[in-house]
Amino acid sequence: MATEEEIQKLLKGLHDAVVNMDEVAAQELSQVVLEKDVSAYLAVTQGLASGMNTVGDLYARQEYFVPEVLLCSDALCAGLEVLRPHIKVSGVEKKRQIVIGTVEGDIHDIGKNLVKIMFEAAGWTVHDLGRDVQLHRFVEEQAKTGSDVVALSALMTTSMMAMPKVIEMLRAENSDVAVMVGGAPLSRDIARSYGADGYADNAGEAVHEAVKMLEKLNR
Amino acid sequence: MTERERIEALLNRKKPDRIPIWPFAAHGFAVIYDNLSLADAYTNPEACYHAQRRMCRDFGWVFIPWIGYASMGAWEFGGDIRLPSGEYDQAPMVTRYPIEKDDDVYNLKWPGPDSGFFPVARKFAELARKERLDNEPFNASISSGAGFGLACNIVGLDRFLKWLIKKPGLAHYLINTLSEWGLERLSQQAKSLGTDGVLGFSGGATSSNYLISPRQFEEFVLPSLKSGEKELRALGYRTTYVHICGEHNANLPYWSQIDFGDPGIIGVGHEVKLKTAAKYFPNDIILGNLEPAIVQTGTPEEVYEATREVVEEGKQLSNGYIFSTGCDLPPRAPVENVRMMTKAVNDFGWYE
Repeated sequence: MATEEEIQKLLKGLHDAVVNMDEVAAQELSQVVLEKDVSAYLAVTQGLASGMNTVGDLYARQEYFVPEVLLCSDALCAGLEVLRPHIKVSGVEKKRQIVIGTVEGDIHDIGKNLVKIMFEAAGWTVHDLGRDVQLHRFVEEQAKTGSDVVALSALMTTSMMAMPKVIEMLRAENSDVAVMVGGAPLSRDIARSYGADGYADNAGEAVHEAVKMLEKLNR
Repeated sequence: MTERERIEALLNRKKPDRIPIWPFAAHGFAVIYDNLSLADAYTNPEACYHAQRRMCRDFGWVFIPWIGYASMGAWEFGGDIRLPSGEYDQAPMVTRYPIEKDDDVYNLKWPGPDSGFFPVARKFAELARKERLDNEPFNASISSGAGFGLACNIVGLDRFLKWLIKKPGLAHYLINTLSEWGLERLSQQAKSLGTDGVLGFSGGATSSNYLISPRQFEEFVLPSLKSGEKELRALGYRTTYVHICGEHNANLPYWSQIDFGDPGIIGVGHEVKLKTAAKYFPNDIILGNLEPAIVQTGTPEEVYEATREVVEEGKQLSNGYIFSTGCDLPPRAPVENVRMMTKAVNDFGWYE
């Protein structure tokens, strides 16, 4: 059994491993968490995910850029891989779910991947459809998973034209689903004109925007 | 003045009668406007050339024949691409990167003259060089080749960006190899094209601050850009048009260290203010920077107003100014919006 001091040290170690892009340390410390019978849930939320929140802040302040964030997310994933099977889910709290993908005609997925990591770090269940995703796949995956949010990404001025079509298809199937969009050519005004419920200017804002959007929609 | 005379006046540091219009990378829009398929912009050099020629004549624009796409390199070095075919496609997309394992970097073979897109580009250039019209200040372009962008295209963006931190030696090795290849290709192209009527070209979307830090730009991007431009000048190319794509504000101190010619033409996206670009490049012509998404999604009135604002800002520059979109003219932009964009420059672009 670990002492409180040991637990705090482990949590800080996991946090720092993510921030310092140290995949090996994240994996090794996650193993120690299991060996010392520390709660895997605690290690994820207050260790790894907390580290990713710090990374999000560093990215927002332009102290970190995409190469750093990608490596931090590798460290996060290395730790999650060890801990995830040991997380005891309480039956009471429902995890939020999101379907995410880069729309048809677009293979640029770096922004989408960063958003995905932010949602994972925030404890959401993420259904990642990848890139160049045919429009009907968003509708099918949302229906299959009952996800709260569908997030669409596009980098090109041509592919972003697919977004209003997907939103229309999603609404026709399920008028309750919340849709958010993002990507370089998008803006809040364009998102609104497409019928999206939410828009995130960058990956760091995406989770906050999603939560705000769901609160506004009363879901 | 003709469109050609306007650009030539700017190149000779004189004020033209009005602001010239030269929308960047309008070849996709040109083929759609000509009722062709978007794939024709990348597979059919004759159609791509004639569509641009007609489009520029119809709209009263500067005509500088242009062919190419952002992810060039992957196919030429042995990877695979998919041509645009669907309703939402914009340009060729990489479906397999030539460098799959780290060791592939050390065994990279330089592409031959008939690899990938080269035959299409060569045929296009041959066609374009046959004539030079009164709206055509240049009828060919030659790329100074940039190691960083090419490296992203042949390794895959996210993988290569990780190398900048985890494997900087490998990243530098690849960039240097590709720069060396770029200089070799530049010298071969120079022999076949000559210098008269040929515009240097450089650019960088993957080096923007959307992706990398200014420090990473300085270390990994700047050296090969500098050497490419130095070689262009040594070969006798007086002017380079550089497309500084996306958010580059923090990189501008580095961009401004590069000699883009006498004068160079500095194209910026809507993320960089024209007057900011003019401050960093006081001796060069500034080009830009209407946000392309507005041309795609705005109403004709919104496009007209947004263009007017850009033109009013550009008109204040003492450097000399060319109107353009900040990046590719969207291929599927409504024609009425493109007409209103043109009309706004025609209405507000005259000098006193």
